Amino acid sequence: MKARNGLILALGLQALLLMLAGTVQAFDYPETGDFARGSKIWADNCSRCHNIRSASELRDDQWLTTSFHMRVRAGLTGQETRDVLTFLQRSNVPLKKIVADTPSTASTGRSGEAIYKETCIACHGADGKGAFPGVPDFTRKDGRLSKSDAELLKNVSNGVQSPGSPMAMPPKGGNLELTETDVRNVISYLRQQFGQ
Amino acid sequence: MKSITPLYKPLALAVGLALASSTAVAGDDLESLRQTVAQLQKQLAEVQKKLEEQEKQAATTHEEVKKVAEVAASADEWKAPSTLVHMAGYADVGYVSSEGSDGSFIVGTFAPIFHFQYRDLVMLESELEVEVEPDGTAEVGLEYLTVDWFVNDYMAVVAGRFLSPLGQFRQNLHPSWINKIASAPPGFGHDGAAPTSETGMQLRGGFPLGAMRANYAVYVGNGPELNAATEDMENFELEGVRAEGFGNDRDGNKVFGGRFGLLPMPGLELGISAATGKARVTALEIEAAGGDEGKNEPGEAGGFDYFDEADRDYSVYGFDFNFSYRSLNIRGEYVNTEVGEATTGLTASEGASWSSWYTQASWRFLPGKWEAVARYSDFDAAVNSRDQKQWALGLNYLYTSNFMAKFSYEFNDGMAGSEADEDRLLMQLAYGF
Repeated sequence: MKARNGLILALGLQALLLMLAGTVQAFDYPETGDFARGSKIWADNCSRCHNIRSASELRDDQWLTTSFHMRVRAGLTGQETRDVLTFLQRSNVPLKKIVADTPSTASTGRSGEAIYKETCIACHGADGKGAFPGVPDFTRKDGRLSKSDAELLKNVSNGVQSPGSPMAMPPKGGNLELTETDVRNVISYLRQQFGQ
Repeated sequence: MKSITPLYKPLALAVGLALASSTAVAGDDLESLRQTVAQLQKQLAEVQKKLEEQEKQAATTHEEVKKVAEVAASADEWKAPSTLVHMAGYADVGYVSSEGSDGSFIVGTFAPIFHFQYRDLVMLESELEVEVEPDGTAEVGLEYLTVDWFVNDYMAVVAGRFLSPLGQFRQNLHPSWINKIASAPPGFGHDGAAPTSETGMQLRGGFPLGAMRANYAVYVGNGPELNAATEDMENFELEGVRAEGFGNDRDGNKVFGGRFGLLPMPGLELGISAATGKARVTALEIEAAGGDEGKNEPGEAGGFDYFDEADRDYSVYGFDFNFSYRSLNIRGEYVNTEVGEATTGLTASEGASWSSWYTQASWRFLPGKWEAVARYSDFDAAVNSRDQKQWALGLNYLYTSNFMAKFSYEFNDGMAGSEADEDRLLMQLAYGF
């Protein structure tokens, strides 16, 4: 009787797998995800279980394997996994020691607020106080916004390691498409929204 | 060619001087001067030829370097090959001192994790667990080994030996670089109230649920085996459930279970878990009045044979939650395991239950490098000597996100005279890699 039940179970599983095989989605590998969504998913999910780890801790190819491992562990969807992978790989950029090589005065056409909500909000939070431990609090009177525009421009453009932060902010927050004008717009938004 | 031009100047000067003084020199001197000029012209031609050769060689080298640079720039196949191999894992070392024994340095665990991935189709994951025993020998275990088939964006088939998906601690929190206290909550370690591993097949994944998110895991596996104990071979009691991923289903009954997690908002996760099936006593401990103990496995003395044992009802249910807000994290978990009675077989006896819960709060401070932790646990086992209530307080220093020093103290309250009643100091260096 048990042997028959086992056979039925095994056949059922085989049928299920064959059925599932028909629904396999083929995606180009590795398909590029969405940077902004990835940063938010990264900030919201990774710290559910462990400390946030910096994008610079692993090579890009190591992040690929790690992301798929975490997909299984954390119950992420395939799209969420690709988004997080894109965020980590694009953020895996060494800090620069000089101001951006080719400063551009052209703007991508997005406002400082829009750029903040796309690129910065995952780590710095909607209220500018930092989404997780170690991220600077923009609302502090003696905080980051007490620095000059020139210094903020340099830090945002080149990236910066804040004391106690688990991860250095990559150049332009990892969004290398941003121009100098875009960065200036974001700094203006920060001062307007969170400045004292 | 331009680089040669300056050489003409001293030559022209020499020739000029020679001509200017020609009226004052004798014919022999003039002939000597002509020979000198001819020699200089010859040498100049040789220099010019060599320079031209060097310039040609430099141009060729430049072209070659350019080609190498182009090939190097396009040679990115190492960044995205079809097959990737990766090793991760964790390890911890430390010091433990309890009321009932002298303090000892210990090697907790070395747990390398291997990943072999083929594109986005399949990944083989395996974690070994190496532990140093008190006698100095090392014990190697296979924590899990699974083949993960990524069926589509919302489902992965995970087959093999896997960490129990019931609750959170076993499947996600037990690695020492993640666990914020240097010990597992009572009842959530091996041979506790919560299953640790299972061998079988599960479906796992996540999906959006309106503005919320959800994740799930459902599985079928070989299930656990039971320990029974007796002093007189007449009266028996259940002593433990071993839910550690047996590679052989000796009772022939499968266990079905799973967990559903809901994330109604960022930073909050709520989960429910359950499993059901059958389990059978496969090991009997004979506790002699003099203190000697023996364990009878199948076919050994004592008249015990697991083939004659009855299949008992087995069920697990549990709840868990996790909440994070900036530097604060609060989590908790409850699990209950029930085993039914058996009226036939040598170890026929009443059923038994094991339950445990813990809640833990942690807070990062002083720019995120220090972390204070408090955890309360209550483990109610089928055998009273294993019951334990525990307050665990911890102070951690995070050198990096994945390397930390932990100082933990357990205030334990158990049956007087038992290990469960001894307070413990634990210090640990943990590294996740």
